[in-house]
Order: sequence, then structure tokens, then C-alpha cells
Amino acid sequence: MAMDFLTALHVSASGLSAQRVRVNLAASNLANAESTRGPDGQVYRRLDPVLEAVPFDAELAGATSAAGPTLGVKVAKIVADQSAGRRVYSPSHPDADPQGFVTLPNVNPVHEVVNLLTAQRGYDANATAVEAVKTMAQRALDI
Amino acid sequence: MDGIRGIELSKIPERTQPASTEPAGSGSFSEALGQALGATEKLQLSADSESEKLALGGGNLHEVTLALEKADIAMRVAVRVRNKLVDAYQEIMRMSV
Amino acid sequence: MKLFDKTLTTLERSLDARLLRQNLLAGNLANVDTPGFVPRELDFEAAMARSQAQDALPAALPAASASTGAGEISVAGTGIPSLPSLPSLTDLGALSGARPGSGALSPIVTAQGAGAGLDGNAVDLDRTLASIAENTIQYGASAKAAGKKLAILRYVASDGAA
Repeated sequence: MAMDFLTALHVSASGLSAQRVRVNLAASNLANAESTRGPDGQVYRRLDPVLEAVPFDAELAGATSAAGPTLGVKVAKIVADQSAGRRVYSPSHPDADPQGFVTLPNVNPVHEVVNLLTAQRGYDANATAVEAVKTMAQRALDI
Repeated sequence: MDGIRGIELSKIPERTQPASTEPAGSGSFSEALGQALGATEKLQLSADSESEKLALGGGNLHEVTLALEKADIAMRVAVRVRNKLVDAYQEIMRMSV
Repeated sequence: MKLFDKTLTTLERSLDARLLRQNLLAGNLANVDTPGFVPRELDFEAAMARSQAQDALPAALPAASASTGAGEISVAGTGIPSLPSLPSLTDLGALSGARPGSGALSPIVTAQGAGAGLDGNAVDLDRTLASIAENTIQYGASAKAAGKKLAILRYVASDGAA
């Protein structure tokens, strides 16, 4: 059962990583709220992480505990939001289309800030879980 | 509006002084020893039952800690007393009559 | 010579259960933003009662028959991959030197319907954090109780020298 302390730490670490990814993506979206050119030459599209619950014990111990696998989290992939961006009439813009419209990214700054805040909350929660496991381990060592 | 009622002191559990282990007038040594050991045993058992309650999910945190400390101290006293008794016995046996 | 009594075994089991609960709660927190995730919780009193009841069974019964029926995990969320099949409890007993009765612990999925978010995630962050705090304290208490019992035994065994 000693493995279970490590399991709890790995699970919380996966949570911390996932939240950090969310923060990074929200920051990227905010920074590129006005970028008419993305890395592929098209207008920038906001990025979203896809979070997936994954069993952890199987990786670590090779045998699941009697209660079933502990579930951590993993960023399965990062998808670009395909919803249409705003179109603004600006014929003098270098990226204007033949009709004179420029397509701006589909980033809503308010939405991104909310994501940032929830990611921060999630990060704090997982950090608390890590502290709790550390405390428990120290108590166990004091037996 | 009704007046504010004070918190009933009856909600706080009574703690009574445990009965003294010294016998009222009987001077029998083995009785005194038996009683002391009995008291120690009782404290061990009460510590055990509090620990069980805690382990099963219920129990009162400070009850458990207090019971354990009392059991620990009582056991230490009992062992010390035993050691002294053994020393005293050996002292007596060494006396040449 | 039987040195360690039933109470110590119960305390050991409670430590196992507390750690398992911690893992489940940590898993819930890690998945606080996973769409469709259903949080899992261990009913501690029930799990302990079940593992204590196992003591009453005759030793001839294999451990696997005691409780796996009740231990099925039903997962209702959509975002969770299918769980790998679990090894039988007798295998686990050999693998981990499990204490008798510790195989009876199994989580219960709580469908916290009222708190489910728009994306189907039902993790109640505040309640989970409170549960983690409570669990940590109780774990420490059980560990301390076990340590104290062993200290008393150690004192007696070393004839009052330690």
C-alpha cells in the first residue's frame, strides 16, 4: 500500500499540469485576441484543451487496487475552436478579404479571463491536495 | 419576540474525578496491588475502545488522545512499581538472616 | 504469542481506508474541470463495518467471495474511459500482503445531481476540499493512536527502559 502515497501525489500532479495547460491556453488566447494571422497563415482561432480522466494505478503498480483505478487527468488534445470569428469592415487592412472585411479571432476576453480564474482555483485545489498527502505521509512516519 | 435563551450547560459532558484507587481501610498489600493493576487494565481497555471508535469513523478526537495518554502513563507507572517491587524483593532475599 | 491485538488491526485498516479515500478525493480534484466527470467517494463507515464483518467469517472462505458483489463501480459519466478488468481479490492478497479484510473497501459513486455543472462535471470543489481536510485529520488521529499503542507495548517490552 506504500504505493498509494505516490499514487495520490501523481494524481494531484496531473491535476496541476492540466490546470497549468488551461492557464497557458487562456493566456495565448488573450494575447492573440486581435491576431489576424495565426501560425498557419489563417486568422488565429482560440485554443481549448480537452481534459480526460485517466486511470493511474495501472501505470504505476501494474495491478489496480481493490477499489478500482485511481483517476487522474490528462490533456487528451488541444483543439482549435472552429466557430466563426467577428468580421469587421476595414478595407485598408492588409488581411482584408476582397469584400473589405477582416475576420478577427473568435476570442472573447471575458470568457478567457473566466477560464483563467477557474484554472487558478483548480490549481489551488490540487495544491491543497498535495499538502494534505504530505501531511499524512509525515504522520505515518511518526508512528 | 422571545428572549434569547442561554446555552444549556447540560450540553457540556460531565467529567468526574476517577475514584481513588486507595482502599478505604484495608491494608492488604496484594489487594492494593490488584486494584492498581485493575485500574491500569481498565485504562488500557478504555483506550482500546476509544481507538476502535476512531478507526470505525466516529469517536471524539480529544477523548481518544486523552484516553491514550492516560493509558500510557498508567502503564509506565505500573511498570515502575513492578520494578521497584522486584528490587525490594531481591533486597529482602539478599538479607542474611 | 499474540502481541498485537484486534484494536491495532482495526487501526491499521482505518489507515488503509483513509489513504484510499485520499486517493479518490485527489482524483476528484484533478478532474474538477473534466467534462462529464462523476466524482467518487468512499463511504468510510460502511467500508470499515464491512471489513470488520469479514473477521466473523470462517477462515476457510476465500476473501474474494466476501464483498466483490457489492463493490462494483458503476460509472455514469460520459468522459471516462472504460476501466480495465480488476484482478481477483485473492491475487491482490498475494501481491500486496493485504491485511485480512482490506479487500472489502470499495468506492461508491455519488451522483451529486444538484451540483452538476453545465459541462456535466459534478465535482463539488468546496465539499471535496473539506473532505480532504477531515480525512487528513482523521488519518493523523489513527496514526497517532496506533503509534501510542505500539509505544506502550515497546515500553513494557523493554522493561521500562524506553
